[in-house]
Amino acid sequence: MAIGAPGARGADLDVQAITKRFGAVVAVDAVSFTVRAGEFFSLLGPSGCGKTTTLRAIGGFETVDAGEILIGGRPMGRLPPNRRETNMVFQRLALFPHYSVFDNVAFGLRMRRLPAAEVGRRVAEALGRVELGDLGARRINELSGGQQQRVALARALVNEPRILLLDEPLSALDLKLRLQMQEELKGLQRSLGTTFIYVTHDQGEALAMSDRIGVMADGRLEQVGAPLEIYERPATRFVAGFIGDANLVEAVVEGIDGDGLVAARVGDARVRARRRGDERAGARLTLCVRPERVRVGRPGGRADGLVGRVEDRAFSGSLVKYRLAVSGLRLHAAVPYAHGTPLFEVGDAVSVGWDGDQAVTVPA
Amino acid sequence: MRVRGWFAVLLLAPVLLLTASLYVVPLGVYLVNGFYRFKDGRILREWTLDTYAAFLTDAFSYKIVSTSLLLAAIVTALALLVGYPLAYALHTRVRSARARAVLAVLLFCPLMISVVVRTYGWLILLANKGLVNTTLLRLGVIEQPIRLLFNMQGVVISLTHILLPFAIFPIYSVLGKLDPSLKEAAHDLGAGAWATFWKVTLPLTLPGVASGGVICFTLALSAFVTPQLLGGGRVQVLPLTVYNSTVEINWPEGAVTSVALLALSILAVWAVNRVVRRLPTVA
Repeated sequence: MAIGAPGARGADLDVQAITKRFGAVVAVDAVSFTVRAGEFFSLLGPSGCGKTTTLRAIGGFETVDAGEILIGGRPMGRLPPNRRETNMVFQRLALFPHYSVFDNVAFGLRMRRLPAAEVGRRVAEALGRVELGDLGARRINELSGGQQQRVALARALVNEPRILLLDEPLSALDLKLRLQMQEELKGLQRSLGTTFIYVTHDQGEALAMSDRIGVMADGRLEQVGAPLEIYERPATRFVAGFIGDANLVEAVVEGIDGDGLVAARVGDARVRARRRGDERAGARLTLCVRPERVRVGRPGGRADGLVGRVEDRAFSGSLVKYRLAVSGLRLHAAVPYAHGTPLFEVGDAVSVGWDGDQAVTVPA
Repeated sequence: MRVRGWFAVLLLAPVLLLTASLYVVPLGVYLVNGFYRFKDGRILREWTLDTYAAFLTDAFSYKIVSTSLLLAAIVTALALLVGYPLAYALHTRVRSARARAVLAVLLFCPLMISVVVRTYGWLILLANKGLVNTTLLRLGVIEQPIRLLFNMQGVVISLTHILLPFAIFPIYSVLGKLDPSLKEAAHDLGAGAWATFWKVTLPLTLPGVASGGVICFTLALSAFVTPQLLGGGRVQVLPLTVYNSTVEINWPEGAVTSVALLALSILAVWAVNRVVRRLPTVA
């Protein structure tokens, strides 16, 4: 497959304030983002957040009520899917059951009336790429779920789209196969340099595969950023809670410490967190602390700020998970377990805390 | 089908009893006549295959068979040609469930009227001075009235009309089961509306076309009232022969003709089933 040099084309996709309504429901609400050529971009959010509608609007399956979508700098307007430089891998795959694997993959090329020899060569190449080289003559219903997944991928990629749209393509697969396909998809995207727009509700999937992620909720784009950035600096409460596990704690700012950390009060205890930049004394905000960064110790041990009691304990091998009652709050902690690590029993009094730079503030 | 338990048998019993007592037994009793001799206007109870031999060697029976098959084939083709676009429009253009229900009732309306009344209606419409001819004459499309009655045309028009719902509903139901993302996928891969229809929608709805077709074909093949009233004696089909033979007390001939009719119907169903079973592999 001929590949344009990644990055040479600048912004591949420019979504400008698109809005889509279904009756009284606003499915997509003024969503804007840009995707660079060769980027693996995920739209992540719970079901009904508007991610699939956004993807379908890019592909031309939905017309937007407001805003514009530019692909390669060209406004798409009401251009139908067959005239856009995009191809879609559908959630339910939508393979043609009356065609063989070969004919499925050849469909797009034949629609472009390419000579049979070229069709044959490119289909063979695409099937080889997804490791289905010798299954061209098979019928779709003779394939396993994973194989069907690969056919759907080959059928879209064989057309060398500028942008490949993927609508939760792995959701029908079991966990093991899904993890394997994630790796393969990522590898394929790297080697082809095609821009991928990947819709998923699985935050683990998005974190593992994407160059950047757009997190959506209720039709709005909450935050766009690299996986690490979104995990470490969630822009909203929703993002903090949706990406990974998080303790979200209401707090009141007391001031800024000399080392640049925010000092805040939780109930009658004093805790610290990384600054976002706009915190002022007296402001209410939310602290986001990941369970694996919460320390649990003997009472009066280290001055960790909070005092609590163990409500529940679950041992999962590498981790010990505690549910803690801390001055009216409920905190979750995941403590790494090694031989000899002291375990606390349900009902034990413990001291609870975290390093100031391991928590982050989120607007309330 | 495996029936499990006495409860299932109990549930099936009324249908089995009805079918047996009203269909299988009388049919058997009548068909036995095919092996009796008919001589001097009387049925003689002696076993013979003469009636079958006579049917199979008589050129006239082939004429009747071919007329019957031709009529059924034309009607089926027309019903499918008119019915498919209708079903497609109903599926794609009519969005509200209410409108669909109303249209479905309208489509089935003809079936709620007695076949005799309906046929007389067609007599009025298709007569030399009927609505169709008068309109065409007024518009200057024709100069002489066309004969639409008491010939094949009239029978074909009336039968197509009445069998249309049987063509539409199987197609409509298959269209409803079609995954909408298949059409989107074709569209996404560069196919316009026309190519999407020929490459994806039509091939995948052929099972509906086949079952609609086989229903129309067997019903048209066994239609009696319409060819009787609108054919004017010029459309000799198998059911008319069965009726005439029975009235003339020539039950052996009626029975043999019935067997021919039954055999053709079964053959049609069997052939279509064979084709349908192979459909998914058709590229």
